[in-house]
Amino acid sequence: MNNSALSIEQSHSGVVCIVALKGRVDSASAGEVMVRLSDLISAGEKAILVDLGGLLYLTSAAFRVLLVATDEAERSAARLALCNVIGQVRELFEMGGLLDAFTIHGSREEAVGRLS
Amino acid sequence: MARPPGLLYAVDETPPPLTLVIAALQQVAVMSNSLIYPIILAREAGLSSSDLLNFASVSMLALGVGTILLCARSRYTGCSYLCPAGFTQIYLGPSLLALERGGLALVFGMTVIAGLLQVAIAPSLRRMRTLLPPEIAGLVIAVVGLSIAVIGVRYSLGITGKRDIQPVYLAITGVSLVTMIILNIWTKGYTRMFCVLIGMAAGYAASWVIGILDLSAAVPSEGIDLLRLPGFRFVQLTFDPNLIAPFVIVALAGTLHLMGNVSTAQRINDDDWVRPNFSSLIGGLRGHGIAAVFCGLVGSIGVNSYTSCIGVSTATGITSRNVAYAIGIIFALLSLVPAAAIVVATIPAPVVGAALFFTAAFVFTSGLQMITARMLDSRKTIVIGLSFGAAVMADVYQDVFATVPTVLQPILGNALVLGTSCGVLLNLITRIGVRQRASVRFEPDHIDREAVEQFLAEQGAHWAARRDIINRAIFGAVQLLELLGDSPGGVELEASFDEFNLDLRIRYTGLPLVFPDHRPSARDILESVEGERLLAGHLLRRSADRIGCRASGERAEVHLHYDH
Repeated sequence: MNNSALSIEQSHSGVVCIVALKGRVDSASAGEVMVRLSDLISAGEKAILVDLGGLLYLTSAAFRVLLVATDEAERSAARLALCNVIGQVRELFEMGGLLDAFTIHGSREEAVGRLS
Repeated sequence: MARPPGLLYAVDETPPPLTLVIAALQQVAVMSNSLIYPIILAREAGLSSSDLLNFASVSMLALGVGTILLCARSRYTGCSYLCPAGFTQIYLGPSLLALERGGLALVFGMTVIAGLLQVAIAPSLRRMRTLLPPEIAGLVIAVVGLSIAVIGVRYSLGITGKRDIQPVYLAITGVSLVTMIILNIWTKGYTRMFCVLIGMAAGYAASWVIGILDLSAAVPSEGIDLLRLPGFRFVQLTFDPNLIAPFVIVALAGTLHLMGNVSTAQRINDDDWVRPNFSSLIGGLRGHGIAAVFCGLVGSIGVNSYTSCIGVSTATGITSRNVAYAIGIIFALLSLVPAAAIVVATIPAPVVGAALFFTAAFVFTSGLQMITARMLDSRKTIVIGLSFGAAVMADVYQDVFATVPTVLQPILGNALVLGTSCGVLLNLITRIGVRQRASVRFEPDHIDREAVEQFLAEQGAHWAARRDIINRAIFGAVQLLELLGDSPGGVELEASFDEFNLDLRIRYTGLPLVFPDHRPSARDILESVEGERLLAGHLLRRSADRIGCRASGERAEVHLHYDH
């Protein structure tokens, strides 16, 4: 888990805006994720995909940020989905009973297909 | 839990009826090889042809009932995986010793004792895992392989107390063994899967051509019925305190063997498997013990879990538990057919020898693989090396050990018993001082999560701890520090490790934390920071194998425990 500071990469695939998170999301870095997602929603993005494939783990603060962003997207008539929820990250979603609280797709390609 | 790509029928799935029956018959064919062991015992006991047939039928019944007891999904018995029963070398050596000292009644009585012991220790299995680590299980399996090879060679060469090597036996063994080897190495599919059976059939044919196969010798003078109930007429139970030690070792060795087999059965059903499910192991051990008690009461030697069946499950991708129930029914039906018992009872000695010698190779190497699966440090090298040497010594110097005091003979005179005893004892002794500790202190306002990660990652690498466990511990430490916030007196993080346990102790100034059992809803988390704190506590409770918090004055300590 070295070099686990958060990095956020943003790209587009058609109409889908992809936000790839890498490293760790905890209370120190969750704010950065919130700001990025809020900015995208405010900018009028209607399909946002958060790719968690590069994430090592996320704490309760990160879960709250993702829930708040999903709620904010719904209120703005946008769709926010997650993909590549695997390994320890998936276990944490299961432990928190939060798999059903989000729209989760398997791979990035599948998610883009569904959101397009 | 992730489904492995080659898995056709998972443990909870049911194949179509025809597939189910064929899969069960395939397992029955493989399991039938293990009937060699009760037949060896019966021959050594000098049973009449009628009693020998009956003994074979009772043994088939024991295999069927034992398989159901081992595999059932019940709160009382069974591991709930497809892990069928089989007769193994584990019971054979001590049973031959009991036969020599007190006849079949003593064999059955001591088998019941071993079974009751397993039932008794089953609930404590999780706490005993430090005594029974995988490398000791590997040692037991390797010694079993070695012992099988020794008996196999004796049968192959026709060596008995009075006769030396018999060239005819050697020729038949050669035909049988070469057939098995060729089919196993250079063919695929069913011929490879049934190479042992086909090799035995070739040995049967060679025995018939040479003239040492006498099927009529197994038929009682009064003839045989088409169907008959197995009789339990020679069942008596006697006990001998001098044999308690070897049968305690039988129970321990069977437990280690079962743990290896059930763990494999779990792993082939789950690509994400990282550690054994102990509820399943405990149920399996209870079933194993009850099966042994059943064997003793009906007049059979004890059954163990059968490694070859796990191999068949892996090769075919059929791991449905319902196959076990079908196996149980098939063996129960076969026990009613005397002709089936004749086929088993007339296996020529050199054919038995070839099958034992061939399977010994697989058992021995699977034991070696289990031994070397984890890194061998000097402690483990000494435990394994000395125990293996002791096991070999028991076979090589049998004559010398026959002169030691009677009470020690059952331990010193049997390779499996001596090897397992040495392994368990040396492991226990050399664990002294094995626990390692390290700690790091963070001053107030300087709690650096990167430093926490680095500390645990470096210690984990230094201790050769499993990466997935260290990752869980890193999450636990970071999540806890997040929950604590800035502690006015700073925070001390202590990590301690031995090969079975990783413990974190986080000491801070403040009130003790409470970790809720119930999880907050998504709405709770969304609407308040308190919801997020509840989630933090819940994630900590769920991600650690044990969690606790205690306070002393103004200081408090959170303990996170992870099984390793």
